[in-house]
Amino acid sequence: MPDGYQVADASVESPRRVSFLEEFCLPFLADAQSPDGGWGYHPGSRSSVESTCWALLALASVSKSSELAELAGRGGDWLRQAQLPDGSWPAQVGGGEGCWATALACLALHAQGKAAQGVVKGLVWLCDARSGEGGLWWRLRYRFSGGSTVVRQNHSLRGWGWTPGTNSWVEPTSYSLILLRNIPEDSYPPRAAQRRRLGEEMLYDRMCPGGGWNSGNPLVYGVAGEPRVGPTVWALLALQDYCDRPQNRRSLEWLESVYKDIRGPASLALAHTCLETYGRPTPALEPALQSLYLTNQFFHHVPVVAWAAVALSPRRDWLRWTSGRIT
Amino acid sequence: MSASDSPLLPSFARPPSRVAIRRAASYEADLSALLFETLREFDLPVRGKGVLLKPNFVEADPLGVINTHPAVVGAARESFLRLGAQSVVVGEGPGHERDTEAIVEAIRLRDYLGPLRGAFVDLNVDDVHRVRLRTRASKLKELYLPETVLRADFVVSMPKLKTHHWAGVTLSLKNMFGIVPGNCYGWPKNALHWAGITRAVLDINGTVHPDFAIVDGIVGMEGNGPIQGVPKLCGLMVVGDDPVAVDATCARIMDLVPERVDYLAHAACLLGHLKEEKIHQLGESIASVRTPFEVLDSFRSLKGTRNGGGNGLRAGHMPR
Repeated sequence: MPDGYQVADASVESPRRVSFLEEFCLPFLADAQSPDGGWGYHPGSRSSVESTCWALLALASVSKSSELAELAGRGGDWLRQAQLPDGSWPAQVGGGEGCWATALACLALHAQGKAAQGVVKGLVWLCDARSGEGGLWWRLRYRFSGGSTVVRQNHSLRGWGWTPGTNSWVEPTSYSLILLRNIPEDSYPPRAAQRRRLGEEMLYDRMCPGGGWNSGNPLVYGVAGEPRVGPTVWALLALQDYCDRPQNRRSLEWLESVYKDIRGPASLALAHTCLETYGRPTPALEPALQSLYLTNQFFHHVPVVAWAAVALSPRRDWLRWTSGRIT
Repeated sequence: MSASDSPLLPSFARPPSRVAIRRAASYEADLSALLFETLREFDLPVRGKGVLLKPNFVEADPLGVINTHPAVVGAARESFLRLGAQSVVVGEGPGHERDTEAIVEAIRLRDYLGPLRGAFVDLNVDDVHRVRLRTRASKLKELYLPETVLRADFVVSMPKLKTHHWAGVTLSLKNMFGIVPGNCYGWPKNALHWAGITRAVLDINGTVHPDFAIVDGIVGMEGNGPIQGVPKLCGLMVVGDDPVAVDATCARIMDLVPERVDYLAHAACLLGHLKEEKIHQLGESIASVRTPFEVLDSFRSLKGTRNGGGNGLRAGHMPR
């Protein structure tokens, strides 16, 4: 494995924090990069848009060294050539249809400060993408059922789905909102501000009654859904401009309450990133990650290692920076 | 891709199916011995083959009622290895929870399989291939499917005995939703819902037809399944060489009429046997183990006649 990567601003980081990042996460990501420049879900697997995006976002969170910049440059090149003519990105290269990965690809390229045109095209595609439930039929059905459908939610609030024409869900909506937070509003394509507002309202509508989010069903047949770590993290990160709202506070409290029982490295890294972004105190991350690594080696899962790198990284501008609150 | 190579035959052209019902009082019982002896009766062609076990892992579950119990998975793995399988891999792609490692750790899968590397595959993030569907029940036409599934010589569906708030019951056919990769379709795999659950179940099973099914019915779930229902102690394992026949048998045990479960009724056309006279029953009889399951109001029509057409429940009245 390559070694000796220099983390940006390492002097302000504790040695403990830097070591797992430098000694494991970054060498792993470097080794896992495919010859074509992208990343697959595991070392040696075919490059995929999502994995490449997470790897690039991890590198964007840490990188100032020339070695990492070279990895990121090749990854960015791979990502750019994977863009479809309509501006979107497919989940799998060779797939002809864009999907949720478009938001991540735009975010990764934007974080690199490259491919501005490609990012704009992707953004336009996202703002034009329609989820399945916001149409007239769905709204009429919701209105005339008196809101008493088996899934209790406001279908007029459109976010983003995983795949085109399907329902809005918490994670893909959050990814798009995080992207929009990173884009200056004066660069927004038509409908972007409206889509952002609807997406934010949709997330609040889909919050579980006790705080937190699951994939997007807060109430089914009148029974409250259980929140999950991943969707809660992404929703909170997408909604951090509204950190004073009671819904955000309740969801953060839920996340804090389950933190100590988290058993997966993905959930742990994401939860830590979220709590830290909100300025909440968190236990030391590195010993817990090391312990989990010894258990299953993170299943050699590239996005999980990337999330761990983000959680341990000194800079996460793409998560913190905001173009301003939509009112 | 043996699963897909198996012919799709109309019912009249199929030999009778075999389904065994075995009593297993608890997960502490010697499930390995029980399963090994049962599987031996089926004389399965697994020697030297790669076997994929597809359990139903949904989410961390402190009550142990949502997921296929890892003791059953471990016993199945051991049994297939004893039967001469070259490799036995456990693969699952949970539909809602992306952190698969958190699920398998919460249910203590390692305690039953040993180190998970090489023994467990997260199908949500496996390499995929685009596959043309062999049936046209839905408009999907093709699906990305995981390499691990397509490479397997022998696929075993291992569901939990549960009711389902959209499909009525979730058994070995519905369990195959979990092979569809999240890295292509998301969490949940909503494209399948838009294609229609019934139709998607048929297309997935028509394309990757499970060679065998082992149902964990030791503790099942009734009411507002597959996540928010209530535990139902049945003390059973149901296994067989035809997933449709296994599911039909399970429905009858649950005192539900399989012909009224939409996807099972359609599956009888090409995927397996639904009629009792076409199912050679081994082990316990259905009558001796019948355990009526409560269902939601919307599925009251599935209830058999033995309790007067049923007692549909409103989900809100059934806290876990």
